[in-house]
Amino acid sequence: MEVLMEGKDLRKHYRTGEVEIEVLKGISFQIFYGEFIVILGQSGSGKTTLLNIIGGMTQPSMGELYYKEQPLHKIDDQELTLYRRNEVGFVFQNYNLMPNLTAYENIRLAVEIAQNPLSVSDILREVGLENWSDHFPSQLSGGQQQRVAIARAIVKNPEILLCDEPTGALDIQTGVQVLKVLQKLNREYHKTVIIITHNVEIAKMANRVFYLKDGLLDDVRVIERPLCPEEISW
Amino acid sequence: MVMLRRKTWRDIKENFGVYLACIMVIALGLLLYTSMSIAVESMDKAQQDFYAETNFADGFITVTGYPENKVNSLTFLPGIDQAAGRIVKEVRVIDQQKDSNRYLKMVTLNEANASQINQIQLIDGQLPKENQPEILVDPKFLAANHLSLGDSIDLSIDGNQVSLYITGTAQSPEFIYIMRNAQDLYPSAEEFGIAYISLSTLKALVKEKGQVNDIVFTLEDGVSFDSVKDNLQAELKPYGFRSIVPRKDQTSNSILTSEIKQIRTMTKTLPVVFLGVAAIILYTMLRRLIEQQRVSIGTLKAFGFTDREIVLHYLTYPVVIGTTGGLLGGLSGVALSFPLTAMYKEFFALPGLKSEFSLKYLFISIALAFVFSVLSGVKGSLDILRLEPAEAMRPPAPGTARKTLIEKFTWFWKTLSSQAQMGIRDVFRTPTRSLFNVIGIAVVYSLMTVSWSMQNMTDLLTVVQLEQVQTYDVKLQLTDPSPTGAVKFAVAHELGVSKVEPVLEVPASLRNGWLKKDVALMGLSDESTLYNILDKNGRRLEVSDHGVLISEHLAKSLNVKAGDVIYVESPLRRETLSQKGENLLVTGVVPQYVGLNAFMKDTELQRFLRQGEISTAMLIQMDSAEIGSMKSKYQNASNVSSIESLKDTGAKIQKMMESFGFTVWLLAILGGFCGFALIYNASIISLSERKRELASLRVLGMTPREVLRVITSEQWTLYAFGILLGIPMAYGLSMSMAQSMSNDMYSLPADLPPMALLGAAAGTAFSVLVAQSRAYYKIKSLPYVEILATRD
Repeated sequence: MEVLMEGKDLRKHYRTGEVEIEVLKGISFQIFYGEFIVILGQSGSGKTTLLNIIGGMTQPSMGELYYKEQPLHKIDDQELTLYRRNEVGFVFQNYNLMPNLTAYENIRLAVEIAQNPLSVSDILREVGLENWSDHFPSQLSGGQQQRVAIARAIVKNPEILLCDEPTGALDIQTGVQVLKVLQKLNREYHKTVIIITHNVEIAKMANRVFYLKDGLLDDVRVIERPLCPEEISW
Repeated sequence: MVMLRRKTWRDIKENFGVYLACIMVIALGLLLYTSMSIAVESMDKAQQDFYAETNFADGFITVTGYPENKVNSLTFLPGIDQAAGRIVKEVRVIDQQKDSNRYLKMVTLNEANASQINQIQLIDGQLPKENQPEILVDPKFLAANHLSLGDSIDLSIDGNQVSLYITGTAQSPEFIYIMRNAQDLYPSAEEFGIAYISLSTLKALVKEKGQVNDIVFTLEDGVSFDSVKDNLQAELKPYGFRSIVPRKDQTSNSILTSEIKQIRTMTKTLPVVFLGVAAIILYTMLRRLIEQQRVSIGTLKAFGFTDREIVLHYLTYPVVIGTTGGLLGGLSGVALSFPLTAMYKEFFALPGLKSEFSLKYLFISIALAFVFSVLSGVKGSLDILRLEPAEAMRPPAPGTARKTLIEKFTWFWKTLSSQAQMGIRDVFRTPTRSLFNVIGIAVVYSLMTVSWSMQNMTDLLTVVQLEQVQTYDVKLQLTDPSPTGAVKFAVAHELGVSKVEPVLEVPASLRNGWLKKDVALMGLSDESTLYNILDKNGRRLEVSDHGVLISEHLAKSLNVKAGDVIYVESPLRRETLSQKGENLLVTGVVPQYVGLNAFMKDTELQRFLRQGEISTAMLIQMDSAEIGSMKSKYQNASNVSSIESLKDTGAKIQKMMESFGFTVWLLAILGGFCGFALIYNASIISLSERKRELASLRVLGMTPREVLRVITSEQWTLYAFGILLGIPMAYGLSMSMAQSMSNDMYSLPADLPPMALLGAAAGTAFSVLVAQSRAYYKIKSLPYVEILATRD
């Protein structure tokens, strides 16, 4: 399998108010094209920070990161922005939709900056929200909002889809619906999907699972037979 | 970026009240700028055009009598281009029905073969014929006295009653602002007007045969007035030379030019105040918006929106607000310029004065608003650049947890409720935002203080002048300087007269180095009580036996103080070869609110003039019941130019002061609106930041009024600091306004009485209260359950 992304001894520390925290203490990994990866870890393990580094949302303090053999750790802010624009789709735990744009408009927002976007209507249909396109986020359920967020991320046609606790704010039924969409994007659209979660059950969907503990990569396990979302429960 | 623009519109709609207040503040500032700029440009153009068309004179001379046939020879003097002689005579209008003082200044028209200087512009009717009893009058006099073309008017000319027919109306560049003399302050079209008459007609009616008593001249290109003045004086001295005045000091031109200058100053300062307040509002609003939308900003960055795209998106807010305000202000300013110009036309009879739609000022208005708005938004928008996407989506680090300064006063701090402590703490924890709000309140407060104090200034001009300085009942002005004893004796024996004080008023030039001022030098009798000179504290000052007392405005113009020596000349002084003028000691500087005078003891002034014991007027204290008959007796006297009661003078001053009243109210209302907009914006920001805290207090069981105290305590703290800063600001503003509005006719004192400071504090507090009422309504309708249920 071809390597999409490689991280070498990645470290990250940052300051919150008057406190300095070392979040990643030296992580090395490889991500392959078309993989479904789950990053597991407790709160404070560094999984969100790792995801942010992979997604170009922040730079590592030390270490190397390569994307399609290009050194991401050396590029400037402008190039990082282009990387996020063209290669990455991000899904957040709290959806982060624009509250005063409709579902359609939130997705359209991403289309306006994409080089090679997909069709908004097609994507809305894929996520099952073709009848809700004119609704504002306040008029949608949590699951619907998350599906809009996924649609917004995927309409850019990115190479890699990063999801930060996508089911964290949802009940099990809705969560499964969301996971089904993500699996579909991975299997049918061949997107590399990386999910971070503290929910061990979700890891059963993955091709590989990265276990993070105290800012270090504790273990990497291959799942021989990834389950479908309907087969998992929590 | 269609979706981002849509987001902008919807964000603006959600906070429409605050944005609207900001738009209104910008619009107000630019309405003032645009309307005044168009009006002043129109006035300036009309003035320049009219002067050019009518060949307005460069200099004005009065003499006792100069041979008519010699006037042209003045052009042989170096620097003089053209010269024209006229007879100028002030005559009384005889009115059988009314007991009124109405006068006309008769000015002879240029002869066909003479230089056409100060040509008149015929407005209606036709020119008066030679040797016919016909005149033109100025249109305002005609209208104010309900006269028509063809009417006859009875005049007393050199003791004779004459009937003249009005053949038309005309306007001269010399009388755009018509005042009887420099002390008159305010035009009174009903009581004083200008009449134009053929030279041959007037010659037959006056004692000046073959002579002119008024000469106007123009200068050759590049020649200055000062370079010709001495030669002209020398030439005219044998003919009773009285005064020579350059164009810039000619009364009408001086007042018009001064008004234009004042308006120009206002167009530069007032809009800046409003735009400054709007910039403060926009700055705080945008910073708040960016803080609130931190997560959205992070999301946009995460999606690959560039910093430039995001910064431009957030700059759209101030640009939209600014451009809307600029457009509104510009358009309404253009509309207002029409009635404003019409108002100026009431005062200044400038032909060709009219307002026009001005694209230029509309564009400047929009551009100014745009620039101010963008500048106010730049800082907040640039903060976006510092945020990494990941950092943006993390909640901001909690603020510093140190005790604020005011909490150190524990005895005071403990007396405050928890809500008050929350509110006050926040003032000190957001120092930049608080500082901007304090500056804004200080500006509003100082605007209001100055508008209140202008009322006090106008009271000073009227009350002090009429009750403490000028305490006579009647002033009898003589045509020429006359022997004091004889006139005083005659007047003192009139019925009802209890006191008579002679006064000597002569034109004089005061010089300090290259600084020069032409003033009326006033000689007062020993221990004068009918005209009092007061010091700063209102105490009566005695004029010293030697030297000269000068007014504050004059001292400033000449850059002199008590103890300095100034050089004094007067056309009425009998000169010797070696001594044209004399050095005199400045014995003191005194406040003077009306007129521009220097004061001497009458005996000292008589010594200076070397004309013996002469006077030019009598100040009379008498029984008010006898004033009417005194007037009737002396009005027709050939050696009396006017007789005026203090009541008449008071009415004129009062009328002038009424025009200030409008400015006072306008400033106060505009200041109040700015204050409201500022505080309203601050309270909305406070509310949105504190939603969770306030919701928690509601859940705890506090009433909306109790919860409101968190907001009100913050605002009253800002208010208190704003007032403290506003007091010195108000003094500064008052001084600069008094300076810019003072001129040779009147000086406005820069006093700020306690009532002005208190009144403005009350006015600003009212703006705060109105804004708080809106905040109360919002707290009352706060969906606290929903707020506490949603995560940040």
